[in-house]
Amino acid sequence: MEKRTIHIRDLTGNESKIDLHLVLVAGKAGVGKEISMGDINRPGLGLAGFFDFFAYDRIQIFGLGETAFMRQLAPDRKGEIFERFFSYSVRCCIFTHNEHPDELFLELANRHQVPTFVTTHRTTRFISLLTHVLEEIFSPMVVNHGTLVDVFGVGVLLMGKSGVGKSECALELVERGHRLVADDMVEIRKIDESLLMGYGSEVIRHHMEIRGLGIINVKDVFGIRSVRNRKRIELVVLLEEWASGKEYDRLGIDENKYSILDMDVPFITVPVRPGRNIPIIIETAALNQRLKKMGVYSARELDNRIQHWMMMEGRKRHD
Amino acid sequence: MTEKEVVVKSDAGVHARPAMMFVREAMKYPCEVFIVKDDVEANGKSIMSVLGLAITSGTRLIVRAAGQDEEDAVDRLVSLIENDFKN
Repeated sequence: MEKRTIHIRDLTGNESKIDLHLVLVAGKAGVGKEISMGDINRPGLGLAGFFDFFAYDRIQIFGLGETAFMRQLAPDRKGEIFERFFSYSVRCCIFTHNEHPDELFLELANRHQVPTFVTTHRTTRFISLLTHVLEEIFSPMVVNHGTLVDVFGVGVLLMGKSGVGKSECALELVERGHRLVADDMVEIRKIDESLLMGYGSEVIRHHMEIRGLGIINVKDVFGIRSVRNRKRIELVVLLEEWASGKEYDRLGIDENKYSILDMDVPFITVPVRPGRNIPIIIETAALNQRLKKMGVYSARELDNRIQHWMMMEGRKRHD
Repeated sequence: MTEKEVVVKSDAGVHARPAMMFVREAMKYPCEVFIVKDDVEANGKSIMSVLGLAITSGTRLIVRAAGQDEEDAVDRLVSLIENDFKN
């Protein structure tokens, strides 16, 4: 699922934790308008009277230069330019550096219902923040029914059928000092080509259902250090009932991948059976994943060592 | 796969108890059960997942099932929602 448009009002209360410091100064009637993909425009050329290729459907950012230019315009020229500017169906204007537009601009923005904001951020900083926020809002999203836990700093997505013990495993991990992000409903966004971020659904954040106990609030029971709101997904672990005929990975030399939103994430299958301590296996898998990220592959290294040893032994025999 | 649309009429929306009723019914069927709201699909056999949709009164939902007895499951669960989660 991919969002194509957002309402302008979403900019003020967006899902990411970045505060754009936006204060609405005019055009309140237009905050329900939609904007599509996150491009922006600096309207300097338009203000100078050149309206060819005017990208009116983007977010218009007025920096210090634009405001200074507008200030020195002669009143009649200013009226003409502003009328022209607003004759296009401009979606939204944002003034940086806490510079407030003049009365005429505000009046026209109100009349044309163009939401106009002022932000205290500097222009470059603001544009980079805004781009970040828009990228996050417009990023492809999928909902996964697994459980996301931060284990030693590695985002581990536990998957498996209902009743296989994902929640119980997450609970044990939390008890051992790791952090729960979301249980049973993980929103996954592809922020860019190399980053999958997992979030909990806002309403049920940090709650878990444990069969026999009912719903528990992990944050209240285990404290603030037991939870976090989002985490990059770096490892997918499928828990499944031990099937006696199935071959499980015994070496770990080959790396399996699980595809989420067309991105490949390292993937392991862990068979579950009574008496197997799954949380400690997950912890080890997370640590092993960290090692791999640093270029250390336990299985491959052992194999290299054995091959080297055998080669040396072989040589000794020949000598 | 079988699916059916239904509108939630109970005033309080799907809060903890209705969610439990739904999940309890869904668990009786061997097939996979999903509730879909605004393109977001929740696992119909998980209380947290159903609660996570934050289904308010008047919401249009799709009840979806795949696997053994999928048609019975969808019929039963849709009628449960239509009857305000009363058995």
